[in-house]
Amino acid sequence: MAQAGKGKLNYRCPSCFLRDLDIDMFYDKEKDEYYCLRCQYCGSEADVLEKNEMIRFRYRAMAKRFDKFDFD
Amino acid sequence: MEFILNLIHRPEMVPEYAEKVTGHGKVEDIGRKALLTESLDIFKTQQEIAHKNGLKVTIQMTYASLFNDEAVALAKEHHERYGDEIALSLLGLPCREFREKYKTKDFCIWMFSMEDKKEIVNDVFEKFHERFGFYPESTGSYYMDADLINYIEEKYPMVKCAVATCWEEGPKAYHTCNNSWYTLFDGGPWAPWIPSKQNTHAPAADASEDCGLVAIPHLSRDLIACYDGNGSNFGTHPQNVLRGMIYDTKTWEYTYLYNLIDQYRSLAKYNNGYAYNMMFVGPGWMNKMGRWEAPYELLLKSYEDGCAYYGKLKKEGALLDMTMSEFADYYRKKKRYTEPECALWRDILYGSDKQLFWYCDPYMRACVNMDQGGAIVDLRPYAAKLKWEVGIGTKHVQDASYPFLIQEKYRAGYFTHYAGEGTVRSAKVSCNGEETDLCLCRTKAHFSEEKSEDGVVTRVLTLDPVELEFDGLTVTLQTKEYFEEGSGSIRIERRILEMSDPSAKVEINEYMVACYGTTEYPEDMTGITLACGKDGEEKRISYEYRCREESLAGAAFVSAVIPAIETKVSMTCSAPDAKGYVREGYAFSPMFTLGYQKTMTEKEAISTWLRLEKAN
Repeated sequence: MAQAGKGKLNYRCPSCFLRDLDIDMFYDKEKDEYYCLRCQYCGSEADVLEKNEMIRFRYRAMAKRFDKFDFD
Repeated sequence: MEFILNLIHRPEMVPEYAEKVTGHGKVEDIGRKALLTESLDIFKTQQEIAHKNGLKVTIQMTYASLFNDEAVALAKEHHERYGDEIALSLLGLPCREFREKYKTKDFCIWMFSMEDKKEIVNDVFEKFHERFGFYPESTGSYYMDADLINYIEEKYPMVKCAVATCWEEGPKAYHTCNNSWYTLFDGGPWAPWIPSKQNTHAPAADASEDCGLVAIPHLSRDLIACYDGNGSNFGTHPQNVLRGMIYDTKTWEYTYLYNLIDQYRSLAKYNNGYAYNMMFVGPGWMNKMGRWEAPYELLLKSYEDGCAYYGKLKKEGALLDMTMSEFADYYRKKKRYTEPECALWRDILYGSDKQLFWYCDPYMRACVNMDQGGAIVDLRPYAAKLKWEVGIGTKHVQDASYPFLIQEKYRAGYFTHYAGEGTVRSAKVSCNGEETDLCLCRTKAHFSEEKSEDGVVTRVLTLDPVELEFDGLTVTLQTKEYFEEGSGSIRIERRILEMSDPSAKVEINEYMVACYGTTEYPEDMTGITLACGKDGEEKRISYEYRCREESLAGAAFVSAVIPAIETKVSMTCSAPDAKGYVREGYAFSPMFTLGYQKTMTEKEAISTWLRLEKAN
């Protein structure tokens, strides 16, 4: 098996991202999947993108525009 | 209301990240022509975007760029045409010339030996002079230690402004980068300040402590999100926001960035009508290859949108763009040494309504958490003005953080697992064998100022009353916290507004659990002395992890002296009949506790003062 490389973009591991770790994933062209060097996550590009959407669950106010910053 | 923006660009001929990212699969070559060309192109793009939006820039020349005729010519041209300041960055040292001369791959100025710091400063400042015919008035790095600043001020006193820290870029950033990014400098101010000669983080208390320049933070950070998580996701740096995935992948909208800028604008209310933002995007963040999930087009768009928003505010008369040296002059006229920086900050990302209050003056940096009933959850004793040398050849090669006494993330805070205690300054209330802690009372605060007859200003946080429910008794209690300017102390007042049974009595325990450190890991507590005393009587515990306690009815003070950080912290109480106590911790709970206990009735109030001093 040839060595892994990077994909067209440097996808980070979504599982590690959720624990505040930015880890670039590497691409295994034989399996057509990205995999994490630090944890056991591996998945297709579609799976990475889906998990990246899921990550945003914690940003509940991400799309809300605030015009008041105190509680007076 | 004045909202100031410092917008900074640096022509970095070998951008951080770029070689690693673009060069994947290639042998490292920091002199590659393609890399140099792309780097300069990014700088040109950033300049064009800023000027298109009518914004003035501080161009921080890197060492590498001083060897590039085109970069030098561009800086001169933009200074003439747009009024940009030509300054000098101590970032961006890596280049072929630097590596050949200094025989190292180190690139963070604060980590070099003092001898090398001096040589590098001389080298880059003289090279700058050779190229421009004058010395810079502004400089900076991610962090600049006190010895470095003092040397620059001694040798180049025309320097009046510097980027000198990046807020809460410490162990959290280190972890985020898989323990490979050694920028460990937690515990500093989040907004501009005048550093003391003794320690960069700690603001100068007077002219004798003034290091000679005005410091600005590297970016303006989210004061909740950055404290809780990876700082590099939550700042006035559009690509940091992308890094945090805080954008809509379909529309490429990042509302959060504008909320962040606007919340900073709102801080003028707490700081004598002044608010500040700094935006400084290194060229590596606008790499043609994209950055992580974000393609170049999104990186570019986010920078264009960020500048456009600042430009719009400027057109509306809601923003003043200044160069760094202009800002230094402005700041020195605007602020007096002891005047604190205050920020009552709300969550704008997670939808929680959580609210923190950050306070910073020459004696302390403190964080009050309204989601925990006004508990102090972070405390840095600047009163000690701790001399903390950093760099090769010192005790702290990388760790430049200002030590804490309280840090709720690194030392548990209110919640611990099974045993022991975490660092926090709060109060417990008990009644007939039941006990609760104000840390469990979520509330909100309101800011005001009081001026005494002799002109001393006190910043006051008034918290909305909270209810404590016991079996058969409800207690309504209000907390007020007073930050008297120049006093080095925080007064906390608790008032029982109402009890469902007006004849009932409750006991209040005002306490502070503390330790010291700069990371998550415990330090040696041996050598700490705990004491409580009154009228010449004093009970002492010399820390040996033996879980001991001493108390004194009517104690005039309870205190701890921590020699390792040259700090004395004490508490005093308004009630002469309160019992003061000190508690030693044990190996599984390496903390100490100071506190006062008192029985209280309806309408009664009690005040305690937490005071910080230097202990020699």
